[in-house]
Amino acid sequence: MPALREVQETFRVALLGGGDAVALGLIAGDDAARAARFGVYRNNVAVSLADVLAATFPAVRRLVGEGFFAYAGSQFIAAHPPRRACLAEYGADFAGFLASFPPCRDLSYLPDVARLEWLVNAAAAAADAPRAAPQDLAAVTAEDAPRIVFALDPALGYLESPFPIERIWRENRECGGGTVSLDEGGVRLEIGRGGAGIFVRALGAGAFAFRAALATGLDLEDAVARALSAAPGFDPAGALADLFRDGAVSAVVLPSPMQGCHP
Amino acid sequence: MRDTPHGHVSGAGVGLRAPHLAEIARARPVAAWLEVHAENYFGGGPGPERLLELRRDYPVSLHGVGLSLGSAEGLDDGHLRRLAELAARLTPCFVSEHLSWSVSNGVYLNDLLPLPYTEEALDVVARNVARAQDALGRKILIENPSRYLGFTHSTLSEPEFLTALVFRTGCGVLCDVNNVFVTAANLGLDADAYLAALPPEAVGEIHLAGHSQVGRDGHVLLIDDHASPVAPAVWALYRRALARFGRVPTLIEWDKDLPPLATLLGEARKAARILDGENDARAA
Repeated sequence: MPALREVQETFRVALLGGGDAVALGLIAGDDAARAARFGVYRNNVAVSLADVLAATFPAVRRLVGEGFFAYAGSQFIAAHPPRRACLAEYGADFAGFLASFPPCRDLSYLPDVARLEWLVNAAAAAADAPRAAPQDLAAVTAEDAPRIVFALDPALGYLESPFPIERIWRENRECGGGTVSLDEGGVRLEIGRGGAGIFVRALGAGAFAFRAALATGLDLEDAVARALSAAPGFDPAGALADLFRDGAVSAVVLPSPMQGCHP
Repeated sequence: MRDTPHGHVSGAGVGLRAPHLAEIARARPVAAWLEVHAENYFGGGPGPERLLELRRDYPVSLHGVGLSLGSAEGLDDGHLRRLAELAARLTPCFVSEHLSWSVSNGVYLNDLLPLPYTEEALDVVARNVARAQDALGRKILIENPSRYLGFTHSTLSEPEFLTALVFRTGCGVLCDVNNVFVTAANLGLDADAYLAALPPEAVGEIHLAGHSQVGRDGHVLLIDDHASPVAPAVWALYRRALARFGRVPTLIEWDKDLPPLATLLGEARKAARILDGENDARAA
């Protein structure tokens, strides 16, 4: 009698497109009936996961067409099946998969459109977070200020692309389909969730570099240095005020007193 | 009526799906209770807030679809923690999950996959159910899945397996009458004998939904697709289930090709009328 773990391994492999001969051997009934019975589950898995991808990446689907999207999706699902039972969190790897998927080689902008759709989806699914106020900076001494770190709202995401992906996305996510010229050039985007729902907006070079650096956990000094390097006229005080005004900060993290001490 | 540590719930409710959320929040229609899929409320944003608001006016039941109680590798800690956190916020009238598995080697297959009914599988599921009940601090209801296949090495029937699980863990049973009908048809079982083999006092909730029929390679199978009204034969089986289990709180599920809310509520009213009739019959 096969152990339960073996049964589940066998089914998993077969459900994701591997051979199903061993799985069918575990099923009661005659041969043809077994294949039909197993087929119900294989179909459920394939269709339900394809539906998740189609719902998360509507613009990519529109750009490549339903048939090709289904093909790419099935290849992606087999190679990167979900690791969590919360399907709002499925698809993080899809953009990277498309970037290295040979049939998409000529669609240079497609992975960035997928990245944008992923960040839109992630913003909707992100946990709620508290909102910090500028007064939370009152306890920061001048000495500590360069080393503070901002925990940003977990719904926020930052994406820079050499292609006009915001326009491509807006034209293709529902039924638009207008033409966008790649000559329109690149964008630096902030994606998040506000009172009115999900927003996608373009930022200037300095603000983008500043916020994207903070989002990766860099401290204030390093984030300002990045912003000044991207935009020499960057105004740190104004950018900090904007950050709080936009509700982007969920916590101000003071440097640990022990940081940098190596007795 | 079923007493739960979280209040009295009786009558017929509806599964609350996202496209109906705004209308229910606005119109506050008559429904005895609501049930949601737990995983849809694991994130933040307006969804959980709206649900907590509705919770003030309706009992809400939390129905998990992703815990994978049948996984030999045990439960996912993170998933169980998120479920317990949501349950702590929502104080649902019931928490339920399925007698099935979805996770193998950390991969989530997004379907309620069938278990072989063996002593080994019983040990696995009992361990997982006990762990879930400990984390939640309450009893959970375990739902019989719709099944399309059986295993050659099963040694127990599904109702025997569920009954053993109830005695081992103290869990309850969510009897999905449509699933009993679908499974019985697909596997050549007697649906009434199935119901008769369940312990009546353990049945804390009933589900009803629509199914469809497909031909696959010359074999006719019933598919539990929750995309249509409850079938007449399932209503008939429901009446017989109530005759055996008593006036169990009943929920209408509809997940695909979602109808207008009024249609869904109409199905719940139909269940409520049958529940009331059953009440009268038992009182008389």
